[in-house]
Amino acid sequence: MEYDRRFLLLCAGEVLVVAVGNIAAALVLQVIVLAAFLEDRRGYPVFAAAAVVFAALIAASGTVYLPLIALAAALGCGYLALALRDYRLVRRAGGGA
Amino acid sequence: MIRPTWTTRGIAALVLVLATVALLLRIPAAALAAGSLALFLLWRGWRFEQDLSAVAASVAVERTVDRTILRQGAAATVRVRVDLAVPAGFSVRVRDIPPAVASGEAPLVLPGATATYTVRPMVPGETAFGGVVIEASDAFFARDLVFRRFAEPQIRVYPAGRAGSNGGRGAGNGDGEVDPRTSLAGQGIRGFRPYRQGDDLRQVDWKVTARRGTLYVREPTGLEGGAPLIAVDLPAHESDPETFARFSMAVSGAVEGAINSRDGCSLLVVANGEVVRFLPQTQDIREALAVLGGLAPHEPGAPLYRSPGPAVLAVRARAARRGGREEETAYRERLGRILSCSAELSPAPFAAAVRAALARTDADEVRLYSLLLPGDNSHLVQVVHEAKVRGMRVVLQAPAGAGTIPGVDAVEVL
Repeated sequence: MEYDRRFLLLCAGEVLVVAVGNIAAALVLQVIVLAAFLEDRRGYPVFAAAAVVFAALIAASGTVYLPLIALAAALGCGYLALALRDYRLVRRAGGGA
Repeated sequence: MIRPTWTTRGIAALVLVLATVALLLRIPAAALAAGSLALFLLWRGWRFEQDLSAVAASVAVERTVDRTILRQGAAATVRVRVDLAVPAGFSVRVRDIPPAVASGEAPLVLPGATATYTVRPMVPGETAFGGVVIEASDAFFARDLVFRRFAEPQIRVYPAGRAGSNGGRGAGNGDGEVDPRTSLAGQGIRGFRPYRQGDDLRQVDWKVTARRGTLYVREPTGLEGGAPLIAVDLPAHESDPETFARFSMAVSGAVEGAINSRDGCSLLVVANGEVVRFLPQTQDIREALAVLGGLAPHEPGAPLYRSPGPAVLAVRARAARRGGREEETAYRERLGRILSCSAELSPAPFAAAVRAALARTDADEVRLYSLLLPGDNSHLVQVVHEAKVRGMRVVLQAPAGAGTIPGVDAVEVL
């Protein structure tokens, strides 16, 4: 229930982010909304830095296509890295490595 | 791979919606929202893996089993406690994985709590636990992680019929149909007799019953003509623990089988020249197992050494006087007299104790369990001799290749 309520607040926050015309203001608002969504913010600056880089890419490119394609590629790589890490963890837990 | 929770699925759906809006309406803020949310999920996944690694590195398992050597189908109680460091925002529950060949299911418990459950190994052999499984989750992801390396302790499972008194070669120990030829050829089933009230229905032999038109039951070896005497020869020193464990299980199985089958049994525990325990004609399984409880190698206070007993000495004295060459007559006569004196003067307390014990049983058969370790076994010769004097049949149960004792009627491999 707690997370349901928070998820609705997150959705409302995203509407605000989209409604803000300025990309910098949208970035600040997005970082604040997601920080409010979390209880434990360990490592949050790492995410914030990635979001800043992505916002800079959008601002520099002047379009939405290229940044989204680049992000999709980065996410794919990130997912592969995550899968590799998970595989190593499973191997280590199973006693195979 | 890590599983997304409903929250993560909701955020992913939000990402798709925002990306669609950004692409259709070309709104940079929507692209930023979609992209940053996707990055957020990736970052949370990375953090989840990091926390899971920390949990995995801190896992410590303490598992105890009340019995590590048991028979097929017997129950063993397992107590397991898993300790680990739980990061903030993380939820962890643990569950033990019983051996693959055992029935039983471990409960899901919190770290630090002791889970107690029962397993029943169904397949003979050596088996180990499957490890522990950790079910970890946070608000965004969940993962079950199996730790196979926590497999101790190992459990040794012996076949159900192996330790029983009627589980020998050629006779099944289960409820299956028995081939009478095989049964009679083996040592497990000696014969058949008409059913009597109170007999175990599992012992009814349906083939013989059908042939003769009335209920017949199988009669296990050692139970014909009265309760058998189970004699246990404890080794004087520590032998191979595994062998001794099998030996103890064989004895316990024989006692259990004899008591469950019909008339109960008598128990005689000896150790080189000393009667350690004696229990005449019992049908109480608890009493019998209490006598057997804590069987361990026993160093006797007054060990015998190549002392065959007065009866055998008397036989030797008679043999010494007979035959031989002319010039040996005087020597043989003197040797015979010495042996006779020894036989008469020897108090032979061990032989007397065994004789008294045998007199208190109505057994027709002595089932003698011994490891027959290298060294002097003359006390067993005395036991066998005393049994033969009373007209008892003696069946020796010893490990394969251990040899035999003069006078026994049959040898069965433990």
